[in-house]
Amino acid sequence: MTDRNPGLSENDRCYTCMTATFRIQRYNPEKDAKPYFKDYTLTDLDPTFRVLDALHEIKWKIDGTLTFRRSCAHGMCGSDGVRINGKNGLACAVLLKDINTSKPIVIEPLPFLPIIKDLTVDQSDFFRKYEMIKPYLITHEPPPQMERLQSPEDAELLMEPTKCIMCACCTTSCPSLWSNENYLGPAAILRGFRFAFDSRDEAPEDHMAAMDSQDGVWRCHTIFNCVEACPKEINITWHISQVKKQLVTMEL
Amino acid sequence: MSYTPYREPFSAWNKLILAYRRHSGSWAYILHRLTGIGLVAYLFIHIWALSSLTHGRAAFAEEMKTFTTPPFKVGEWLLGALVMFHAFNGIRIAVVDLANGAKYHKKLLGAVWVTGVAVVVLMFFLIFSTDLFAK
Ligand code: SF4
Ligand code: SF4
Ligand code: FES
Repeated sequence: MTDRNPGLSENDRCYTCMTATFRIQRYNPEKDAKPYFKDYTLTDLDPTFRVLDALHEIKWKIDGTLTFRRSCAHGMCGSDGVRINGKNGLACAVLLKDINTSKPIVIEPLPFLPIIKDLTVDQSDFFRKYEMIKPYLITHEPPPQMERLQSPEDAELLMEPTKCIMCACCTTSCPSLWSNENYLGPAAILRGFRFAFDSRDEAPEDHMAAMDSQDGVWRCHTIFNCVEACPKEINITWHISQVKKQLVTMEL
Repeated sequence: MSYTPYREPFSAWNKLILAYRRHSGSWAYILHRLTGIGLVAYLFIHIWALSSLTHGRAAFAEEMKTFTTPPFKVGEWLLGALVMFHAFNGIRIAVVDLANGAKYHKKLLGAVWVTGVAVVVLMFFLIFSTDLFAK
């Protein structure tokens, strides 16, 4: 049988070889009533390896049943959000040297969302809330012949929120969401900002409607868990505060 | 093929607030909630203590005398500390929500601690000056 997933190649060998134990939350919906933890110890790890490399090593060489999502492996697709040592992050963006490897490294699925299998969560609820803020440009005028123009200053305002890759690390880290499952969550509000504050959008109030509801921005208690979790280093809470400020001034 | 996704019971989320990795922002949130609960509890005790007024001036004066004893003074000082954290952090939250505080919220929390501790130390001298310096 050919080895289709050879794992780390000759060139990727460790230079400062280290050993670490990964305590991974497992759940097989066909067999288990509840999730449980299982330990895997890997040798030949380099401190510059990412958590995703370790997950690959385990899946490819130790236990092929370990299930997790990943696609790009380079922090662009947003599919491998997991909770590493108690904090949400992308498995492909967290290096072993940046976390505590002296104790078993605890890897759990993102909190709050239903677990499909092992580290794979059902993101339907996350995307349903994203759709609630109408994540598209709303215009009434017929489109111009060339592109819709915008000043560099107006574009600058959207630079940070457009970096979002919809990984759900922020929303599932939010204590306000844990205690109120209807809360829109930081990712949806950030996307709402991206359209409501776009100078080319002609119906900001359409995006604002969901954000101004009782499960919208007013549920944010400025805990900053989302900002700590965001792999793209977006100051989500600042954008939420701008939406709050806008709504307050509109209502005055 | 069907599967049953696993959902944590709702009670798990309160525990998660403490289990999820904490940082300055979540500490401020937890302390703000705790001091808030403490102040509401104090409000009830306060109103209950004032109820001695209904028994006349003398009863009230008698009760006030117990409140000037050292244990109550220490309690008053600690109460002041709760008020200071809740008040200064409240200003911090307002700055985050209504100004650009989200960009420097960690520095703001530092300012909350510095001013808070300064006022609490000042309160110590105000409250205990009669005991400390009285001849
Ligand atoms: S700052 Fe707001 S949105 Fe972000 S984690 Fe805290 S409560 Fe949730
Ligand atoms: S804001 Fe950050 S943490 Fe949230 S979904 Fe976007 S990239 Fe992920
Ligand atoms: S695998 Fe695409 S973001 Fe990590």
